[in-house]
Amino acid sequence: MVAHLLSLRWQVMRNGLRRSVWQVVALVIGGLYGVGVLVGLVAGLVALSFAPAQWAWTAAVLVGSVAVLGWAVVPLLARGVDQTLSVEKLRSFPIPADRLLVALLVCGVLGIPGIVTTVAALATSLSWLQHPLSAVVAPFSGLVGVLTCVAASRVLESLTTRLASRRRYREVMGVVVFVPVILAGPIIGFAGQGIGSVVDRLPGIAEVAAWTPLGAAWAVPGELALGRPLEALAKSVIALASLGLLLLAWRRALASALVAPPVEERTGSAKGLGPFRWFPATPTGAVAARAAVYWLRDPRYGGSLVVVPLVPVFAVFVAVTGGNDWLLYAIGPGIAALLAVTLCADVSYDGTAFAAHLSTGVSGRADRAGRVLTLSLFAVPLVVLATVLPLAALGAWQQLPALLGMGLGVMLTGFGASSVASAKFLMPVPAAGESPFKSPPGATVTSALGMYATWLLSFALAVPELALGIASLVTGSVLLGVLALVVGVALGTVLLVVGVSRGGALLDARGPELLTRLRSARGA
Amino acid sequence: MSDERSPTVPPSDPTAGQPTVPAPSEPAATGPAAVPALRIVGLRKRFGDKVAVDGVDLEVPAGSFYGLVGPNGAGKTTTLSMATGLLRPDAGSIEVLGADVWRDPTHAKSLVGVLSDGIALFDRLTGEQLVTYHGLLNGIDRETVATRVADLLELLDLRDAAGTLVVDYSAGMTKKAALACALVHAPRLLVLDEPFESVDPISAANIRDILHGYVQGGGTVIVSSHSMDLVQRMCDHVAVVAAGRVLAAGTTDDVRAGSTLEDRFVELVGGRQHNEGPSWLRTS
Repeated sequence: MVAHLLSLRWQVMRNGLRRSVWQVVALVIGGLYGVGVLVGLVAGLVALSFAPAQWAWTAAVLVGSVAVLGWAVVPLLARGVDQTLSVEKLRSFPIPADRLLVALLVCGVLGIPGIVTTVAALATSLSWLQHPLSAVVAPFSGLVGVLTCVAASRVLESLTTRLASRRRYREVMGVVVFVPVILAGPIIGFAGQGIGSVVDRLPGIAEVAAWTPLGAAWAVPGELALGRPLEALAKSVIALASLGLLLLAWRRALASALVAPPVEERTGSAKGLGPFRWFPATPTGAVAARAAVYWLRDPRYGGSLVVVPLVPVFAVFVAVTGGNDWLLYAIGPGIAALLAVTLCADVSYDGTAFAAHLSTGVSGRADRAGRVLTLSLFAVPLVVLATVLPLAALGAWQQLPALLGMGLGVMLTGFGASSVASAKFLMPVPAAGESPFKSPPGATVTSALGMYATWLLSFALAVPELALGIASLVTGSVLLGVLALVVGVALGTVLLVVGVSRGGALLDARGPELLTRLRSARGA
Repeated sequence: MSDERSPTVPPSDPTAGQPTVPAPSEPAATGPAAVPALRIVGLRKRFGDKVAVDGVDLEVPAGSFYGLVGPNGAGKTTTLSMATGLLRPDAGSIEVLGADVWRDPTHAKSLVGVLSDGIALFDRLTGEQLVTYHGLLNGIDRETVATRVADLLELLDLRDAAGTLVVDYSAGMTKKAALACALVHAPRLLVLDEPFESVDPISAANIRDILHGYVQGGGTVIVSSHSMDLVQRMCDHVAVVAAGRVLAAGTTDDVRAGSTLEDRFVELVGGRQHNEGPSWLRTS
């Protein structure tokens, strides 16, 4: 039974690799990375064996606690990372809960993250080379630590399954997770200032962590080496008891999950027509209304906007810490450049639902125009605000026309260019309902290049207003700035109209081929 | 704007408060010389090495309830996709009521309502928004769309779920929403790919009534289905398709030639195995 599930898991992985060369490449890179980390870790542990025992103890407790915490938290954020052996899929087989628990535990340990953690845990033995008793105990306590990792991860996952079956929660979490990732730079910057004091506090943190389920198991060998057998005993009890409790909780969750599937909650309230009432009752208006609903409701669209509020945050951060305020001027044009090519993935986001546009025979122009309309409705005011507000704060009004001209010019040009681009090539995007940040299989280099090419093209076509704007900023000439604004808006609008009609014509001509590719992109 | 087609479709007349199917926009011509609702000649499609549709000729008379049956992979979905302008054929011509689907797509598509199998819907819209969306895309004015959406949701028993996101619908409700989308512009030809899959028996019976009403009102319906029983009871015409070819076509009575459609189908398509499975599967 355990062996069956384990071989099933590996088989699924092998078959996945067979489907795409890129997955093999990703696995090899990931594997090399893991091996590199392990080699570094082992070297570090051997080095620690020559250091005072207190150091090795602190390091083991801290790293071990972080590992347990990581195992527990990751599935909450990145739900469905590994669904190979989800209880939902196994529910139909007559497997007793106890055996399933053992099988899932073993499979968890023998997955790739599990193997890395296990090897690292066993290697802690190396840091106690000068303390034979600790070196013997370390692999066992390490194993308890690894099992705690896996059990904690599974328990928290099943505890939150009910919560996560609410679509809204999943969608919001999917976006929220990536905010700290994107903000990592500034956060590290802030933390850097306080890192000296944190280092001093680490031993204290380790003291506390060692008494919690997070660090207890990892502390045991160190306590022995430091000659504190009673504390070692107490921490062993804590570690084993928490593992036992976790397993019990998991067993209960598993038993109930095997008989009672979590029910997807319905969003009940009547919503009315919403945006369909606001936009004109034409095909263009309908496409715009549909796009508006999706911008509000589909996390994949919102996800592409996560970076937008971070631009001013980053600029203000640099200005405050570095005293360099040139980035504040760039907020508006920066957001404009980011928003310019968001339409590139629009048809890809539709997926096969795009068939509705084909079978109703709506013209390509109406399709393009509707999508641009909705985006413009919030993008244009946003860029204007993001340009005006910082300049107002700085009192630098004479720069306004140049920056506004550059921003609007690039953005309108980008709308036109991406209207053509999204009719021409598909972006590999997550399917509707998947995490907006999941990188879909078959993400080819060529289609990513397509988006960058569109971006570069938008900048190239916007060279007149960019040149005028830069000249105005350099010389301080307001006249040149006004010219940049006039040229930016006029030329941008012309290119937008051209892009919409060219993209529309392309869609009319190649719509069925686009749908065929959308179907195969979904592996239909 | 140049992209708007003037709505040629008169609003359906609600009779005595009863929700009605949008009636086909013009009464179908009758008689032997009438233009067929769908005429397919020499249709071919190849995917790589696999020939999916291998020279299909099909004529669907106006006003008929036409069943398309065939085993999995016979090319039913491929044929219907090409007939509705969703997939470009390699060769062959397709006309809907005389309008060539691939030369005059806008006109042809305004005559056809489509329910595709294995195609996603814009499922972050509510049911009401989704049907409204399809109506507006067809260039119908707001008031007419509103009336028809209300009628269709009532008719398909989706009134209570009108404000629910389609992504939260059950499989059967999703099918019904897709059917409402196909009906909202009062097409003269309905092309339904597996409309009864995962629909509960009550809803299926309701849908059948709606389709019968639609045919009596002068419309034409083409359904593809696995269910021979259903097709035999429901359709007056039938075509049996296998391996990308039409094996038999005509009125249901002609095609089944005295036996049941299922027996006739097995006879035509072949591949039936007469055995009782491995011995260990017999429990008594």
